[in-house]
Amino acid sequence: MAVSANLLAVPVAAPLLTAALILLFARWGGRTLIRHQIALTALALCINLAAAALLFRAAAGQGQRFVLQLGAWSAPFGITVYGDGLSATLLLMTALVALAVYPFAVATIDYHRARMGFHPLYLFLLMGVNGAFLAGDLFNLYVFFEVLLMASFVLLTVGAQPAQTNSGIRYVVLNLLASTVFLVAAGIAYGTLGTLNFAQIAERLPLASPAVRTVFAGLLLVGFGSKAAIFPLFFWLPASYHTPPPAVTALFGGLLTKVGVYTLFRSFTLFFPELLQDWQPVLLTIASATMLVGALGALAQPGIRRVLSFHIISHVGFMLMGLAVALSGNNLAFGFGLGAAIIYLCHHMIIKTALIMAGGAVELHMGSDRLASIGGLVSRQPFLAFLFFTAAISLAGVPPFSGFVSKLSLLQITLDTRHWVVSGVSVFASLLTMMNMMRLWRESFWGDYSRPSRVPSRILQSSVRQRLMLTPVAVLVLLSLALGIWGEPAFRLSMQVAQQALDRQAYIEAVSPSAQTSTLPAGLFTVPAETVSTILSKEN
Amino acid sequence: MISLLLAFAVGSLFACGTYLIMRRGQIKLILGLALLSHGVNLLLFGSGRLTEGRPPIFLNKADYAETLSSSLPADPLPQALILTAIVISFGITAFVIVLVNRRHTVTQTDYVHGELTPLLREGDPFDFSESAELDQYDWLAYEVDEVYDSEELLTGFPTLPPSEQDESTAMEQDQYRWP
Repeated sequence: MAVSANLLAVPVAAPLLTAALILLFARWGGRTLIRHQIALTALALCINLAAAALLFRAAAGQGQRFVLQLGAWSAPFGITVYGDGLSATLLLMTALVALAVYPFAVATIDYHRARMGFHPLYLFLLMGVNGAFLAGDLFNLYVFFEVLLMASFVLLTVGAQPAQTNSGIRYVVLNLLASTVFLVAAGIAYGTLGTLNFAQIAERLPLASPAVRTVFAGLLLVGFGSKAAIFPLFFWLPASYHTPPPAVTALFGGLLTKVGVYTLFRSFTLFFPELLQDWQPVLLTIASATMLVGALGALAQPGIRRVLSFHIISHVGFMLMGLAVALSGNNLAFGFGLGAAIIYLCHHMIIKTALIMAGGAVELHMGSDRLASIGGLVSRQPFLAFLFFTAAISLAGVPPFSGFVSKLSLLQITLDTRHWVVSGVSVFASLLTMMNMMRLWRESFWGDYSRPSRVPSRILQSSVRQRLMLTPVAVLVLLSLALGIWGEPAFRLSMQVAQQALDRQAYIEAVSPSAQTSTLPAGLFTVPAETVSTILSKEN
Repeated sequence: MISLLLAFAVGSLFACGTYLIMRRGQIKLILGLALLSHGVNLLLFGSGRLTEGRPPIFLNKADYAETLSSSLPADPLPQALILTAIVISFGITAFVIVLVNRRHTVTQTDYVHGELTPLLREGDPFDFSESAELDQYDWLAYEVDEVYDSEELLTGFPTLPPSEQDESTAMEQDQYRWP
């Protein structure tokens, strides 16, 4: 089946339209309405998954690039929507994670949060994430960032528990600061290069002065890096992720930081491939620090969800390490680092979501997620214990699971490129991950059964809800197992995706086949020595 | 000259915004965020050309090239960008104000309990007992409607006396009926 570029609109339009439809009737209230909301949301998630799967097959499997110029306005003037293998991989993973978390959310989100608009917010968050993966220019990327941030602000704070409002403020302020930095970068790009379109920025950036390039790259690194929670900029994440209901934490843990990682991948490979070489020591240092701080910080955390969310930071460090060595290595292994980072990203999205959901189930059974006050659950909930254990060892990188393939490939490329220190750090961080996971397992499942601190939640009295909670975890663990078993084809696919993403010229030609300009337009930040007349004469 | 002035304006807006965000007070935080967004808007405004009295309107299609080469008109795109950015920052500021107000209602304090509080206190840095109290909340409790509907809004969270606990669990059971 031939895939049209119009399919690119579906991952944004389907959640948006469904959420708008739900909101139209949201004020009527009532349980019947919530049931309809759930059905509609599930439908939108399925449509999204189908579209993402089609796109993935065409873009990642067959190496196509899809460009949708909205309203048929050509590239620099209209809104460009761009989808290639990298975008499609992330779209597919996002669709999977969103669809997997949704049954868990339906089972555990209470009626009041549902009435406050949980289901449409879920779709708005999905729309923002999908839009960020598809955006073809900086300003639309900013807009989609804000869409997903706004949805996440409300999802984080709906319910207004004291801890939620406390963490909400820190999350909101730090993310707004990151958005501000990113918007400054967009302003500087427009002022110096006269364009916001990704392809044109990539085309014109070599003409700009090195100072402009450095400032632009630095601002993007800070802006996207704090979305991705890299080393000195991660403080919003451990401050907030443990406070909302576990369904929200699972969704955030699966999706939000990955948007930052994707934008880092996209901007560094497309705009400044040379900086990947020049800044490699800096990037590797940041990556090592992120890995270490994430794993060590998780060791000091007192609760399951606190450990798991702090640990996300460590994984971001692994992905950044893959990006830093993306262009290193010999010609045969071109893009090896990025390919390894992409497969790591997929593994992380799957298994982290599964673990947070399993942790949420533990929290429900024990009435608390504080490791000091829980224990011995393995005798009461063997299936949950089994799922948690398999997910945990997959995260730690034990062979039959996806964690092994992704960690091995990342380690291989760092060893091949002779970055001994960072590869040592990554092995050490993996060891710490193992320690963390075993600590969680020991404290919550082994030992004497400790009575729950309060009456077990009513959710657990419904067997339908129980099944809705555990089935997605089981599916995600199986997916991780499949990714581990079919590791070689999966890795070959992610190598293709990486090589496609690293091919800048093809990106530029796919988006704007127009004539190349050799001069920069006059803006505030450039001296208008060469004026528009020369550009115009060239066009005529 | 005017661009220098603009640069100073952007710089001072950023400086004041950053300073205000670093203060402890919540109102200062909101003001700081607002100043920062104004700073970015001005920067976006300056990223087009700063021209005077040359609107980007061509009366005659034939000689637009000459008009362009003689004097560059104003760039209309940054205004569209600023408009979008203003709308977004307006919505977010409104949200932050509501959040701060809500937080103040719930916790009755202007002080944000930080992750580093145990480290800043004297004694055992790994003593989480204080933050443990903060964490002891029920993510399945949803006081939202009750609080909104009652006068409890003014007095913080309603805590039920033990005698009424059974009634509340019955309510909870009702709320967890399969939707």
